[in-house]
Amino acid sequence: MSLASPLREVAGQDAEQGIPADPYQRLRQLLLGPEQAAIAGLQQRLDDPELRAEELSRIIAEAIALRARHGNALQKALNPLLEEALRVSVKRNPQLLADTLFPIIGRAVRASVAHSLRVIVESLNETVERSVSWDGLKWRLESFRTGKPFGEIVLAKSLRYRVQQVFVVHRETGLLLAHVSRELDTVQENEMISGMLTAVQDFIHDSFAETDGTELDSVELGEFNVWIQHGPKATLCAVVTGTPPRELRTVLQRTLEDLHSQFADVLGHYDGDTESASGMRPLLQACLVGQQPREGKPTRSRAWLWVALPVAALLFALVVNWLVQRHRWNVAIANLRAEPGIVLTSEQRTWRGYRTSGLLSGLHDPMAADPAGILRRAGIDAARVNARWEQYTSLDPRFELPRHIAEEKAFVERQVILFRVNSSQLDPEQLLKLNDIQSALRRLQDYASAGGTKLKVEIAGHTDPTGQEVKNATLSQKRAEEVMKALTDRGIGADAFIPVAKASQAPFQWKAGSYIPELSRRVTFRVTMGDQRQ
Amino acid sequence: MIQKKICMIGAFGVGKTSLVARFVRSIFSEKYQTTVGVKIDKKVVEVGGQQVTLVLWDIAGEDALTTVKVSQLRGASGYILVVDGLRKATYETALDLQRRVGEAIGPVPFLCVLNKNDLRERWDVTEADVEALRQKSWPVLYGSAKNGEGVEELFQDLTTAILKVPNVRDDTAGEAT
Repeated sequence: MSLASPLREVAGQDAEQGIPADPYQRLRQLLLGPEQAAIAGLQQRLDDPELRAEELSRIIAEAIALRARHGNALQKALNPLLEEALRVSVKRNPQLLADTLFPIIGRAVRASVAHSLRVIVESLNETVERSVSWDGLKWRLESFRTGKPFGEIVLAKSLRYRVQQVFVVHRETGLLLAHVSRELDTVQENEMISGMLTAVQDFIHDSFAETDGTELDSVELGEFNVWIQHGPKATLCAVVTGTPPRELRTVLQRTLEDLHSQFADVLGHYDGDTESASGMRPLLQACLVGQQPREGKPTRSRAWLWVALPVAALLFALVVNWLVQRHRWNVAIANLRAEPGIVLTSEQRTWRGYRTSGLLSGLHDPMAADPAGILRRAGIDAARVNARWEQYTSLDPRFELPRHIAEEKAFVERQVILFRVNSSQLDPEQLLKLNDIQSALRRLQDYASAGGTKLKVEIAGHTDPTGQEVKNATLSQKRAEEVMKALTDRGIGADAFIPVAKASQAPFQWKAGSYIPELSRRVTFRVTMGDQRQ
Repeated sequence: MIQKKICMIGAFGVGKTSLVARFVRSIFSEKYQTTVGVKIDKKVVEVGGQQVTLVLWDIAGEDALTTVKVSQLRGASGYILVVDGLRKATYETALDLQRRVGEAIGPVPFLCVLNKNDLRERWDVTEADVEALRQKSWPVLYGSAKNGEGVEELFQDLTTAILKVPNVRDDTAGEAT
């Protein structure tokens, strides 16, 4: 008891100072006090997120750098987060990304467009050249026949090139990854060549290329070409003799893509160990395409002739035809215009097929020449010309005379001299008609002699169909001669007349099957001038 | 077969090409250096029973007009800094180059060779200068392209150092540690 009270006194003081009154607890505190405080401190650091964040912030950069050196697990873990963050950022503020990309996007687009255009032009050139060359046609046919793609056949058949060697060069170090060659005794200096190729590319890029992203993709030296295909980790260089076809690029590109996918590890961390890259060789072997370059000059320059010559010939023929047709039309139109009795009011030439056709309209005097004949004489097919002529009477003096002649002729041919039954005697009133006929014939004779021709008048005697035909023939002959005599008596030369006995062959028809006997007993005239008719 | 890219770096006229010529027989002419800016040679060395092909990028010397291009250093496993003992300026250039190359391609093994040791009596570079390099823990060798002194060791030592480097990932090789 005597001990307890001082202890309790101390406990009372301790309680004020935060020391537990329980002796056991007190003992723990005495023994483990500092550790407990440390644990409490640690616990606070662990439990307080703000404190932890602050501590972590001091080491996070070092930690990430350290982690990255042990592999790319961190990148993989962060990838989806970064992608999502980028996506959200772009969605929220597209302008930010646009501003960030602005300085480089122009270059990238320019480089890409320039490259695409070059490929297009190249392919266009070759396509034109191929589609018109004899070889090209043959290859198309073979492709159609065998069902193989055209490109494959071109690669196999283009005898103008040969891939001699292929290098795969590690892009960063310029070290040779793998090499294949057609020659068995390969040069031992491939490592140096691949280094030099890299150095030359760097040199050209550093010296001339203004923008990043442009790369040297071929080196030409006479018959030698080095075609370079770039990948992110490796470069494929093919040494080719001759003129390689465009399809070779595709082969190289595909091979390079295969290399990148099959040897991603080797390419990513190449340490110079050629063994690790030896598996690339079979892929490269497939690039050694082509055959011995063909003897003689390439036929490139002549290919265009295949198109140009026929096209030029066709054009020439078309132009000549057009000129000829135009000339003919112009001649025909000029002739029509010059022709009296034809008034051309409109003319239009149209082009149907390769020959001229046209539309004509105007006035045509029956006395004038036939327009179709004028067209024909100019070499134009009248059937192809749609002509519309209105009839008219021309006042052209050149038609005065012919019109007179025609009128006189018509007058004479209208005349009929009638006779009584079984008589060839001319009645007085009929004789009066002959006076008019005589004066008309005299005028016609004058016209004829002025024109240097002769007047011919056929005097046809007729009878009615009664009586014997033999007798009728004699009678009709006598009637014709009677009229002829009467006309010669009036001063017209007998040589102008041809008396004809028609008997009853042409009675005056009134209706089908009936005739008028009085009008059948007659003499009619047919007038011809010169040698036009007999 | 292991291949390694090695760069020869140093001021103009310090004897980089002569050192290489002592070491290998070139197929490319020296003209390449003045045109393309680099000449490439190859040498097979044997280190610890392992054959290593060294692809030597003999880069055009640094002077007032030419500067070393980063593109030519890229991917190098190691480099050799060449100093002309007769000219102190080349020593300064080497110090500067070492710093710049380190920035460009990271901490890869290198060796510093003090060339023209056959003319030691006329040297401009002093013993104290060499000591300063050693203080910076640079591996320093004396050599002579003229009599071949130190040439084989130079490449042998560098190759050994390169092979000792653990195969770190290329993409982190340039990071500061």
